Amino acid sequence: MSPAYVLKRILLIGYTLLVVSLIVFAITQVLPADAAVMMLGENATPDALAALRAKMGLNDPIWMQYLHWLSGVLRGDLGVSMRTGQPVAPAMLEALGRSLLLALFSITLMLAVAIPLGIVAAVRRGRAADLGVGFLSYVGVSLPEFVTATLIVLVLAEWLQWLPATGYVPLTEDPLRGLKHLVLPVLTVSLILIAHVSRMVRSELVDVLHSDYIRAARLKGLSKRQVLFKHALRNALLPTITIVALDVGYLLGGVIVVEEIFALPGIGRQLIVAIQARDLPSIQAGALIMATTYAIANFLADIAYAWLDRRIQYD
Amino acid sequence: MGEPILDIAGYSLDYATPSGFTRALDDVTLAIARGEVLGLVGESGSGKTSLAWAIMRHLPKSAREAGSISLTGQDLLKTSEAEIEAIRGRRIGMVFQDPSTSLNPTLPLGEQLAEVLVRHRGLTRRQAWAEGEERLAHVGLKIPQQMMRRYPHEASGGEKQRVVIATAFACQPECIIFDEPTTALDVITARQILDLFKALQEETGVASLYISHDLALVSQIASKVAVIHRGKIVEQGGVGEVFARPRDAYTQRLLAAVPRPDHRLVEAAPETGDRPLVEVEKVSVHYGRKPFLGRLLGRANTQFTGNREVSLSIKPGEILGIVGESGSGKSTLAKAMTGLNRFEGEIRFAGRRITGLSDMDRAYRREVQIIFQHPDSSLNPRQRIREILSRPLALYGEPRVRKDAAAVGELLEQVRLPASYAERYPHQLSGGEKQRVAIARAFASRPKLVICDEITSALDVSVQASVIELLVDLQKRFGTAYLFITHDLNLVRQIAHRIAVMYRGDLVDLVDVAALSGADLHPYTRSLLAAVPAPATAAA
Repeated sequence: MSPAYVLKRILLIGYTLLVVSLIVFAITQVLPADAAVMMLGENATPDALAALRAKMGLNDPIWMQYLHWLSGVLRGDLGVSMRTGQPVAPAMLEALGRSLLLALFSITLMLAVAIPLGIVAAVRRGRAADLGVGFLSYVGVSLPEFVTATLIVLVLAEWLQWLPATGYVPLTEDPLRGLKHLVLPVLTVSLILIAHVSRMVRSELVDVLHSDYIRAARLKGLSKRQVLFKHALRNALLPTITIVALDVGYLLGGVIVVEEIFALPGIGRQLIVAIQARDLPSIQAGALIMATTYAIANFLADIAYAWLDRRIQYD
Repeated sequence: MGEPILDIAGYSLDYATPSGFTRALDDVTLAIARGEVLGLVGESGSGKTSLAWAIMRHLPKSAREAGSISLTGQDLLKTSEAEIEAIRGRRIGMVFQDPSTSLNPTLPLGEQLAEVLVRHRGLTRRQAWAEGEERLAHVGLKIPQQMMRRYPHEASGGEKQRVVIATAFACQPECIIFDEPTTALDVITARQILDLFKALQEETGVASLYISHDLALVSQIASKVAVIHRGKIVEQGGVGEVFARPRDAYTQRLLAAVPRPDHRLVEAAPETGDRPLVEVEKVSVHYGRKPFLGRLLGRANTQFTGNREVSLSIKPGEILGIVGESGSGKSTLAKAMTGLNRFEGEIRFAGRRITGLSDMDRAYRREVQIIFQHPDSSLNPRQRIREILSRPLALYGEPRVRKDAAAVGELLEQVRLPASYAERYPHQLSGGEKQRVAIARAFASRPKLVICDEITSALDVSVQASVIELLVDLQKRFGTAYLFITHDLNLVRQIAHRIAVMYRGDLVDLVDVAALSGADLHPYTRSLLAAVPAPATAAA
């Protein structure tokens, strides 16, 4: 892989994040919230409010406020929460950590299940196994998250009483209990991801198995197994990498419903709380952190893709 | 000749379809001995590729077979899947048509060669790579060590086909099937691959089944030839015998359809006194743009030149042939002349200057029409033929010309299709019929110039012959000028008055067709002429 390609991608991330920071800042500016009023309460005197506004730089022109905020961000200072009076960054990063943990387990489980399912469905195309996988994934895709989550809680936590239904315990505190609490949310999210990724793997693999070079490999005398794992899978899994990167984005903000149901304090939930409290610094920090993680996931996917398919970087 | 290596006896193949069985091969009997090359000639759909799959035992589950296919006495129809896997690539090799699709894009070329050595000869990976390098050197690749590590997109078509050939020969098989190995390559590259084939064939004495639609080519490399038509071998025998005295009516038709430069189909060029119809003056086309980031990083311009200051002129009623390999800029020029590409320079048409798309008004479009290579993609699959043909009639038809169903019928009859085809959709027509519809569409506006961009290269040789005959006929009737773009030098020498040769975007030669045998030609033109196989019946 050429260093120029990697450099190009990194530059692109920087550019993307700059645009994101502008949008995030602009959106929080139009939200109907006066930071000074929020901090001092409804009954504060006009003098106190004016003094605080001057101190916080709220009277400066917008672009100066933006630059001020941006320079803070670059130094790792995301501001102070209006709700708690604490710095925003540690709380948000902690929530991000919990979300990443969920994402890591879910994606691992998803890949471990979805890829074999997709392979089986593609290899036994049109037969019982294929139809079974197809049916299950349609069900998985069409059920709303809260239904899937509720069903899982109902079966595993209520009836069988195997696992706790809600709550979160840090792994550092009590690894075993922490893991137990993670199982249900991970299962819920994985099921949804498995449903669409297995279909994707299947259709890509079916296409690849019909290509000339697969036939050529078979006619060189390679066994079905060698052809499948060495020649076909590599090409069929390429698009899946892109999907995984998109899923990271989904897992970091799109699973608020799941986080709510299982009382998992991830970054999605943290952001909702911040929005409800009109806690501007927290909203900005949350959105920016999510965008950064998302951009990094896509960057890694691009690099992995280019490494596996050498044609990419020439495009 | 000794015992045959490959012996096919009374072999029939049917495919089960919902509406019953379709016969793909009918009582095929042929044998190839050591050191022999059997040329299997047939048009698309004749069953020649089905025979290759049958020999390789790579048939769909819907296949029903009868007869036998024996490799040195062992009936492959009765051989287990596991044994077949050990035979494929080791005792029977195969070279495929298009190296750009038969090689895995995500594996290095060396790996795709070495894996065969590991699989069949039990070499370690290290040994296999070392031997792979030797093999690549043996097939004439200059830098085998680097070539082993390259990916398919980093090698040219000819280089890739050499890798495929090296792979087929890697385990010293007794028999190799060559499935149109030069069809996807340029003329000169194809010539080199053929030379390589001949050298390896002589050296190894492998029994070769050479599948091709190209009679001229088969006559040069094969010792025996079998002609296949609708699943049946209609004639087989020694090459000299079959080509000189074909007994079967189909073989005779096929041979008669092969383009022969000495057999001119058109009358003499129009009087030179005529003013040119179209003049192309220093037309250049550049593709691509400077990438934003590339400019930031100070990288060089990545633009690609499609045409470099091409100048030519076409007289009324003249057929000007343009030849050149793929990427030489033939189609780029056609696109520039029809406004599909931006260009620099100018085109003069009937005394008017045209410097860009905006100058190509309705009058210009009426007079200059284009026919594309693939009728499948140039005809809208969701429109009936009637709709396809009535559109240019409505747009460009002269006011006094009728635009009703009868007019569409007349257009169809002009291209020798029944008027009843008007109600059909393109998919209900054969490839040749579809191209006739495309011709009818181009002629609907009674143009003065028709640009034919490789319009027969997707067609079989007999269909090509009838389409060419139609074009010549229309030219005589309407006095239309053609810009006839092709890579088939034999074909263009039959019908063109003058020939333009393009090479890497430049027009290197523009000569009268008679002058092609002369000495005063560009080196590229000369190598192109030398690379073209002489037509099969030249001796007769």
